[in-house]
Amino acid sequence: MGPLSILSEFPEWLNLLIALFIGIGFGFALEQAGFSSSRRLAGMFYGYDTTVLKVFFTAAIVALVGSQMLSFFGLLNLKLVYVNPYYMNATIIGGVIMGAGFIMGGYCPGTGISALSIGKIDAMIFLVGGLAGAFLFAETYPYIQEIFLGNYKGEMRIDEWMGVSTGVFTFILIVAAVFLFWLAELAEKKFSRPEITSEI
Amino acid sequence: MNTRIKFSILLIGVGIIMAFLPFNTARSFQLKPDELLSKTVSDDIYFSVDQVARFINNEDTTFQLIDVRSAEQFKVCNIPGSINIPFNDFSNPKWEIYLNQKGLKNIYYGNGDQKASYAWTISTGLNYGNNFVMKGGLNEWYKTVMLSQFEGENITPRENALFENRFNARKTFTQINSLPDSLKTHYFNAKHLQTSKLDGGCE
Repeated sequence: MGPLSILSEFPEWLNLLIALFIGIGFGFALEQAGFSSSRRLAGMFYGYDTTVLKVFFTAAIVALVGSQMLSFFGLLNLKLVYVNPYYMNATIIGGVIMGAGFIMGGYCPGTGISALSIGKIDAMIFLVGGLAGAFLFAETYPYIQEIFLGNYKGEMRIDEWMGVSTGVFTFILIVAAVFLFWLAELAEKKFSRPEITSEI
Repeated sequence: MNTRIKFSILLIGVGIIMAFLPFNTARSFQLKPDELLSKTVSDDIYFSVDQVARFINNEDTTFQLIDVRSAEQFKVCNIPGSINIPFNDFSNPKWEIYLNQKGLKNIYYGNGDQKASYAWTISTGLNYGNNFVMKGGLNEWYKTVMLSQFEGENITPRENALFENRFNARKTFTQINSLPDSLKTHYFNAKHLQTSKLDGGCE
């Protein structure tokens, strides 16, 4: 019965060790999916490579369907799974900053570390920038705290907000994913560029 | 047929199944009625008030006393070390962290046996482990532990041990319940578990 980190009585070091192995698996999968290439990631914004959309949407669907199936068979208690609290201001402002950083740097934080692990120099510079941003955020936090914590919505879930059951929401998301995959493929054809992955 | 079309059909098929699956089954009864009934009729589900008194005197940390009476009744008096999960609020998911754990024995008590037995049935039906009832509830506790006294001229070692056990539990009970309300609140809050929180972003 899960979630293991709450219901099992694992010592803290074991929880952290499990997290380390999951992290290694995640980093390995990112690298294998080609996410250590900033050109591939930036391709999402220009439309010539939509792997990011496909991989992350597929991951979301697998996690959603998987967790619900585990819950259905009584192996996971979804009510105990932590829901990130929703701070509307922070999400919008942070989303814009992250998007800008993503398109300028060619990475998001996780893929940046993945690229760093295979020795990409641009990823090193990108992460220095990211750490500088984190430092700046921490130092200016007292001044921006009010904006940051504003419009707090609590542990909000989209299915509850839409007033539909979790299963119906999963169905809607799957249909949206299939539609977006189709759209992404169209975009890839329209904005295609010469194959460059072999040079990277 | 194109692989992409096959993949899309498969995905939508899974989506349709998900849309019709009944969820939240994690909180529905998982034991079959006959299994539950056979457990109910067993005497192994009960602890006597003397046993509970011994747990308290020994500061035994392998059990968790759960008072299923209302919060007001709990504030007036309760067995030392117990937590309050009012029966009216028993199905609230926030209590699950206390009820569904493997390390501790949950011993339910109310004024009598009725509500504690209901609580036992629900938590056992939900397949939470280690559920017990304190036989007779607080009424029995009062009669046996609080009113216990030494009678007669001779006392056997066994009777003496029993009396001492009750006497010590009574002393603890009186001490804890005579605390001022503010201290009691601090004490109860300290006993409440904090749900582990995970933090982190998507990538």
